[in-house]
Amino acid sequence: MFGLRLTKRETPLPGGQILAFAMGLLVALLIGAVLLVVADHSPLAIYTKMADAAFGSPQAWSTTLNQAVPLGLAGLAVAVAGSMGLWNIGAEGQIIAGAIAGTWVARIGPDLAGPVLIPLMIIAAVFGGAVLALGPALARAHLGVNEIITTLMLNEVAIRMVRYLVNGPWKDPTSIGFPVAPELPEQSALPTLFERANIGVLIAAAVLLVFGYFAARSKWGFELRVAGSSEKAAEYVGISLKRKVLTVLVLSGAIAGMVGGLRLGSSDRIVEGIAEGWGFAGIIVAAIALMRPSGVAAVAIAFGALRVGGVAIKGQGVPASIAEILQALVLLGALGAAVFTTYRLDRTSASSNASEGAVA
Amino acid sequence: MITFLSDIGVLLSDTGMWKNLIEFGILLFLAALGEVIAEKSGVLNLGVEGMMAVGAMTGYWAGIQTGSPWAAIIIAAVAVALFATLHGVVSVVLGADQVVSGLALTILGLGLAAFLGTDLVSQAPGAKFDDLSLGALSELPGVGPTLFSMDAMGWVALFFGALTWFVINRTRAGLNLRAVGESAATADAAGTPVVGTRLIAVAIGGAFAGLAGAYLTLKITPSWNESIVGGLGWIAVALVIFGAWRPGRVLIGALLFGGLIAVGPRFQTRRCNGDEITNCITTEINPILVSMLPYLLTILVLVVLSIRSRNRPSVAPAAIGQAYRREER
Repeated sequence: MFGLRLTKRETPLPGGQILAFAMGLLVALLIGAVLLVVADHSPLAIYTKMADAAFGSPQAWSTTLNQAVPLGLAGLAVAVAGSMGLWNIGAEGQIIAGAIAGTWVARIGPDLAGPVLIPLMIIAAVFGGAVLALGPALARAHLGVNEIITTLMLNEVAIRMVRYLVNGPWKDPTSIGFPVAPELPEQSALPTLFERANIGVLIAAAVLLVFGYFAARSKWGFELRVAGSSEKAAEYVGISLKRKVLTVLVLSGAIAGMVGGLRLGSSDRIVEGIAEGWGFAGIIVAAIALMRPSGVAAVAIAFGALRVGGVAIKGQGVPASIAEILQALVLLGALGAAVFTTYRLDRTSASSNASEGAVA
Repeated sequence: MITFLSDIGVLLSDTGMWKNLIEFGILLFLAALGEVIAEKSGVLNLGVEGMMAVGAMTGYWAGIQTGSPWAAIIIAAVAVALFATLHGVVSVVLGADQVVSGLALTILGLGLAAFLGTDLVSQAPGAKFDDLSLGALSELPGVGPTLFSMDAMGWVALFFGALTWFVINRTRAGLNLRAVGESAATADAAGTPVVGTRLIAVAIGGAFAGLAGAYLTLKITPSWNESIVGGLGWIAVALVIFGAWRPGRVLIGALLFGGLIAVGPRFQTRRCNGDEITNCITTEINPILVSMLPYLLTILVLVVLSIRSRNRPSVAPAAIGQAYRREER
């Protein structure tokens, strides 16, 4: 119709996904610039300010890394399931479930010392996330129920659960006006690593490294990829798909739950918006990283920078939602550009053009 | 138990509850109908939440600009149809994963609506759909002040529902739509344009989400803020499954879920204050817990459906979620 058509490349373009990500970023920044001009701002000044806030100083780097922690772990959660061809759209809810479980521990043991309390809260959070993923995992493994919709629905349930707790049973009796949960004990804050970054950065890096290693080198990772590429092949070599689906989805939920626990370590209290869209952003991160842990870390840092930049320009009268817009545009741009790593744009010959015209 | 039964009686005689039920039913029906059309063509669009946000913001803005609810809701529908085409281009033309592309549309839509609607938060509505009196019919006891007093969009939604059913099941275009959604390769071999059909289906689905979003800010609230959609779009996605991709069943589901939304806030005893004792609810049920029910019910339905469908073919369009490229036949 346009005289152009997509033909499959014999071999995918090397380094194509990095190129696609760069293209996506470019597209996003260009469209973002248009939006900023429409809203009466200078795109160059705003982008400079964003970059400066994210990378301009050690302190800027520390805030960017702090943001990259939940993005990277949420991305990993999605990627673990994704490498087997499963979609965990419920990371958002699992983060909340983790935060609820972590807060619960802090409520029963408010006097525990930090080095005891913090690990307990994180372990509880991991369990919380896993529990929320267990239902969809069981339903998928044993009944074949589509995990996309079940995990998605549980997001909304989890959001309402934390709303219920904050407005009811966990409401701070001394709070006036807007209902909030009481503050977490002081010693539950994660210790500082450098500047504003806390040890969550180390924990996330360790988790990513471990999974990166296992995904690439272990039998477990190999089986995961086999099961993801072909169910028949997996069954043929004796991989139990049911068990694999179950463990992978629960593990995915557990990693997302950990995000909730780590977020508590850098917050005063649990709030309704504790998940802040990290779970959905994690899906974007994992998709751009093609479900690979190494890619997840890199994309998480880039998106962390976008978020830090988005918050920094609030003072200029630019709504922080620009960060969300840019993230989504990066993904859409990268998704579009990724096509050209496996496909080539060719001019159709005159004859096939004519025959297409004849059919139409 | 007896007080609970009398509470049900109070609830059923509450005209306000019925009006809310119908309004949320209309909204959910419109959005879910659009998703049915897209999914029938084989395209899952998880962008409903974001599309509704764009529709709600655009409709509210256009209402202020034009002063006419009809002009506003049409502008919103067109705008969201264009917005949905982004998902169409990325997932249908370029063949990217539908799940990721749809979720990106939701994130983008929520972000765009918040960004562009910043100044609208403090503005009063410029247009609003009014209840429509049908003369003697609206005087009838019970259904008069509720069903026969609903605004014109209710009748439009019912008309669109019937039209959608008719087109899908009784026309050539509907046959093509279903063919593309069941097996793109077969449809392509038979000469049906797969990409074109899917693009149009996604755009029409977007237009319906736009109507639903604008209905929210031109009737139900009527005001705008960035968290106004608050999960209604996900309920619409759920409704499609709940209603087994059939407009009639989706309508029943929309009224049921709309009912849950309407009933939720009414089980609070503080509503007794100042009311007649006969018109007072004594059972306390937390509205937040009630608002979880649509999502939990959908999961339950999915589980029941998949247990039942073990021995028979699935009701879902077979090609849903699959990109189609000709050389991969």
